[in-house]
This record gives sequence, C-alpha cells and structure tokens, in this order.
Amino acid sequence: MQLLEVRDMSKDFGGLRAVDKLTLSIEKGQILGLIGPNGAGKSTAFNCIAGVFPPSAGEVFFDGVKINGYKPWNLCKQGLARTFQIVKPFASKSVLYNVMVGSFATTEKLAVSREKALDVLRSLNFEDKKDVRAGNLTIADRKRLEIARALATEPKLLLLDEVMAGLRPSEVDEMVKIIQTLRKRGITVFVIEHIMRAIMALSDRIVVIHFGKKIAEGTPEDVARDEKVIKAYLGEEYGVS
Amino acid sequence: MTSKTVNQIALALVVLMALVLPLFVRSATYLHILILVYLYAYLTTSWNLVGGFAGVLPLGHSAFIGIGAYTSTILSLQYGISPWIGMLVGGVLATAAGVLIGLPTFKMRGAYFALATIAFGEGIRVMVENIDKLGPFNLNGPRGLQIPPRDTGLANYMFANKEPYYYIILVMLIGVIGLTYWISRSKLGYALNAGGEEPEAAMALGVNVARAKLIAMAMSSFLTALAGTFYAQLTLYIHPKSIISLDFSFEIAFIALIGGRGSIAGPVLGALLLRPVSDFSRIYFGATLPGMHLIIFGTVLVLVMIFQPRGIQEPLTRAYQYLINRFLGKTARES
Repeated sequence: MQLLEVRDMSKDFGGLRAVDKLTLSIEKGQILGLIGPNGAGKSTAFNCIAGVFPPSAGEVFFDGVKINGYKPWNLCKQGLARTFQIVKPFASKSVLYNVMVGSFATTEKLAVSREKALDVLRSLNFEDKKDVRAGNLTIADRKRLEIARALATEPKLLLLDEVMAGLRPSEVDEMVKIIQTLRKRGITVFVIEHIMRAIMALSDRIVVIHFGKKIAEGTPEDVARDEKVIKAYLGEEYGVS
Repeated sequence: MTSKTVNQIALALVVLMALVLPLFVRSATYLHILILVYLYAYLTTSWNLVGGFAGVLPLGHSAFIGIGAYTSTILSLQYGISPWIGMLVGGVLATAAGVLIGLPTFKMRGAYFALATIAFGEGIRVMVENIDKLGPFNLNGPRGLQIPPRDTGLANYMFANKEPYYYIILVMLIGVIGLTYWISRSKLGYALNAGGEEPEAAMALGVNVARAKLIAMAMSSFLTALAGTFYAQLTLYIHPKSIISLDFSFEIAFIALIGGRGSIAGPVLGALLLRPVSDFSRIYFGATLPGMHLIIFGTVLVLVMIFQPRGIQEPLTRAYQYLINRFLGKTARES
C-alpha cells in the first residue's frame, strides 16, 4: 500500500517554478531517497508535503487522505513528522523538554509525555544528554535531537531533510544505523540527502530531481547508472560501478 | 530529606510569612507599599503568560486593567452591582478584547507585535478620554470616575483599613502563581514555550501555535482585568491617565524583564526589587530631587539588563540551589 502519494505537484514562487509536476510515491515500510543538485527544489517539495505552504497545483495523498492545504500540526497528528534542514531546537530548553514537546502531540498528560520522550531518547542512545540545554549540543546531537523530537510524535512517515549534512564520516555511519532501525520499527522514511554514500546505503528507491522536475527514479544502482543523473549531479565516480 | 521536601517547606514558610506580615507591619504606608508589590507581582505574572511563555512582548496590558476597572466601577456606580460581580464581567470583556487584539497581531513578530499592542492600549485610553457617555454608560471622559466611600465591607469590596486589601491581593497572587505553575507543567505550557522559541519547529511537532497564544492571551487579559477592579477599589478613583497609561504597561514589562521573563519566580522577584526601589526613592528623594526615583529605576534596569539579561531570577535560583545543597550536605548539584 502507498503511504504517501504525490501526483503532479507543482509549486510556484512568483515567476519561479520551484517544483514542477512532481510525481512520486512511497510504500509502507520503505525508505525513499530524494536527491538533486543544490536548488533543485527538494526542500520545497518537502515543505509542500509537510504543509508549510500548499502546493500551487497537483495532489498529495497521505494514508489515503488528500492532504493539500492541511496545516503542519494537523499532519503531525495524523502521523506525518519531519525534521528541518536548518535545525531548530528550542535552544533554551533541555533535550528532554524538546522531545516532550513532540510527545505531547499524542497525549495530554505530563507523565505520559515524559515517559514516551524518555523511551525515544533511550532508543536513540541519547538518554545521557537528556538534561543538556539544546543550545549547547554539538551539530551531530542537534540533528539527532531533530529526529528524536519527530519520533516522539509517533509518526507513520518521517521526512528527514538533510540530517547528515555537516556530520563527520563516523557520525554519518551512526546516523545511517539510526535510520535503519527506524525502518525496523515500522516507520516509513522519506529522506533528502546530499551524502551519496549514505543515501545509496539507505534507500530502497531513489527519486532524482533537477530544476524541480523528476529526471530519474529507481533503485540506487539504477539511478547511479542513469546518464541524465550523472550529467546533472552525481559526477563520473558514481557512473563507473 | 530530599530537595523537593525542602522546597515545599521553604514555600510554606514564605506563604506563612506573607500571611502574618500585617501583624507586624502596622504602618499604613508600608502596608500600602506591600499591597502594590503584590499587585504588580500579580499583574506581571498574568502578563508573563503571554509575554514570558509565548515569547512575545505585549505592551498594551493597561487596556485590560482599564477595562476591568471601568466595568466594575460603572456597574457599581450606576446599577449598584457589587464590584465582585463587576470584576468578573470586566474579566470577560477583557478576554474578548484580548482575543480580538490577539487574532491579527499574533501573526506579527518582535517589535511589530509590541508596537501594535502599544497602539491598542493608547487607542483605548484616547477613546475613554474623549467619551463622556458610551450609550447608557457614564465614562466621564478625562475627569475619570470617583467611587464614593459608602458602606465598607466585603460585599462592597471596600474597606476602611488596608489589611483586607492586603489579603485579597495576596490570595489573587497565590492563585495566579499556582495557575502559572500548573500551566508550565501542562501541554499548553510546552506548546507556548516551543511556539515562542521556534514557531516552525513547534508547528511541525503538532502544536497549533496561534491557538496556544490566543488561549494564553485570553487568560492573561482576564486575570489582568481582575487587578483593574482591585486597583479601582483600592484607590477609589480612576481616570484614563492613571489606569490606562503606557506607564502601567511599561512598568509591568520592566518588572518582567528584570525579574526574568518566562519563569515563575521572575515576576515576583522583579516586583519585590523594583516596587520598593520606586516607592522608597520617591519617599526620600521626592521632595528634594524630583524625578530621582525614575533615574534610580532606570539605572537598576540598565544594570540588570547588562549583567543579568535573563533576569535576577537566574542567579537567585542558582544561589538558592547552592544553599539547599549545602544544607542537605550534597556536593554534586542536583537538577
């Protein structure tokens, strides 16, 4: 079953068409990668799906329901969570507080929210930092906090917007492991990433966009061999294998 | 003994002290100063629901004080309705006004929101100043309204001495602090804090930021209006310049900034520091150096902003924690 289905979605900013008739879908339990050169419209596509702004044209279905124009907080309650490319921690608050904001999405009770937040932190090996102020975290931990908060809302689909940008290789490996465990927990993941090594290892399928248009789609191997993709983005080193 | 028990004992001691204080403070002047400290602590705590938790800077709260004061006073003068009932009516009217002002302004950020609320407060003041009669209600324009000291007693919200006022405002203050504490540990409190700091992230985590802010604004304006009635019954004379003035709005914000915005203790500590500074410097320098109290007030404000931008509650909380830990014989700090 398709958890997310995007049909001919476009987004215009004035005269600029940032996303152009994008069509894609994600099956439940899959990891779909979205790649493309800088400015290709990846984050705009994410924002349209996550309800930050409505798409100018086309349709978005989540779990069988048309969600065009839904507000972010409503989408979150229906099971669609996201992280931000530029991390947005509640900097003056502790890590636990940050995650509890997320876990309050599905409960009214402080104690329940706290327990759920601690569970999430434990599952991400993050519990030792629960009392650290979010503003004092390293960039890797901030990215992890983004995921922890989103997970605390108990999503069915998680949109990850460049959660590995700016991480060291060892931290990237750890993040890949974290995302793989998400899939084991039954969460469908839609991921934007620039780090090829990571996205090739993670994704079941990859969609490539360029100037807002989809130029290729398939397994990581197919995409890596695709002439258009190589030209647009990947460079020769991925074309050989 | 855990630090939690110590906290509870300390809190109980403070409340007990506040309760018996009038037995020792016999001077009406000092009691009046204490009443004003509590009144400002109450006002600032109410303001803090929006100005602290929701992360915006409303500077028009005097309008709600005015709505509360005028509503209860008019109802009591013209219709003989008890100010206690008028107080609640004023609260409801202020809530409506708060929501109406919040709907368009909460989309604004930073200084624009502050400016819009100033305009709102000043607009209300100018209107009241220039309206003698609003339908059947007699506002009496710039001359204001005087409440003739008739029968004193609880039912009339009017007393011959200061003690009853002291206890009324103390109960109101304890109530509003309790409410703030409860909100800070509720879903609403988390939503307000998150929405104030990073609205986009909060929205993505399921928080309807605009709605949370409106709820906070409704509560804040309701509570602020109650204090308006209290102020009217305390001074028995209200006029637009005194009660809907920008000074009122600013002083609330100053107290919050100095005490510590967004904390529970901040508004109380700020009022405890600033009100006596303002009153005593007026008492001692008022005759010889007029305006001195404002200079002192401003100096304190500047110094705190430079050295403790998060308010005096932060170092005081740290000091308190340190003392507690010493008292309990702990070396490591417990959070």
